[in-house]
Amino acid sequence: MTFDIVSFIVLAVATTATALGVIAFKNAVHSALSLILTLLFLALFYLQLQAMFIAVVQILIYAGAIMVLFLFVVTMLAPDQNESDLKDAIPWQRIVGGLLGLVLVAALSYELFTGAQITGPKAAAGNSLTQAVTAYHGDTQAFGMALFHGFLFPFEVTSLLIIVAILGALVFGRRAN
Amino acid sequence: MPLSAYLIMSALLFTIGVIGVLIRRNPLIIFMSIELMLNAVNLSFVALSHFLDSADGQMFVFLVLTVAAAEVVVGLALIVSIYRRRHNIDVDEMNIMRG
Repeated sequence: MTFDIVSFIVLAVATTATALGVIAFKNAVHSALSLILTLLFLALFYLQLQAMFIAVVQILIYAGAIMVLFLFVVTMLAPDQNESDLKDAIPWQRIVGGLLGLVLVAALSYELFTGAQITGPKAAAGNSLTQAVTAYHGDTQAFGMALFHGFLFPFEVTSLLIIVAILGALVFGRRAN
Repeated sequence: MPLSAYLIMSALLFTIGVIGVLIRRNPLIIFMSIELMLNAVNLSFVALSHFLDSADGQMFVFLVLTVAAAEVVVGLALIVSIYRRRHNIDVDEMNIMRG
């Protein structure tokens, strides 16, 4: 077995285990820490897929900024209040949810296993700027060139989205009189 | 590794997120499961970008990241304001659409 396969399998097992931890831990703080590990392992997947910039952004923004916000709220809202203390209004939902999840993963895996082949010329989808990104293993300069030439409008719309989100958070966070 | 390995990994993560949304009652953990689903889709975007030799997928991941950040900000503010009002964050009890 080559290094490629071994690293993929190790990463896949670690990612699945920590992702299961997110939904299995009783304490929300443990779930959040488990999610941070999942996001770090996904960043390693991105490095394996030669997307350097995305991997770094994943660590900085997701595992850093977003998860700090999560942990802040989790610790603010009574971290020791376990779900097991509350009474379960719909006791069968765990079993049904698990079964439906198994059906979903089976269906998705079947489709992907039989359907996921890339046919035709490999580079048919991209233009020269976005091909440069993959040629330089996703480095920041090529990524920036492609982003600001081909995707300028979505990028600007993103700033509008963030302003709306900030205003929304301000409205919700205001103390009601 | 073949493309389908990464896509099946992504499907697995997505399903774990779906199960989390279905079986947990703490809205914070439901939110984390939604993050898990977003990340599963991001993984398939990056994998397809690598195998198609085009960075369009990576651009999408970048935009999905900002959407996820905005979603987390608004969602957490919503949960905090619900908690302030009711001192209880069980989703099964949030069944009226007024304060």
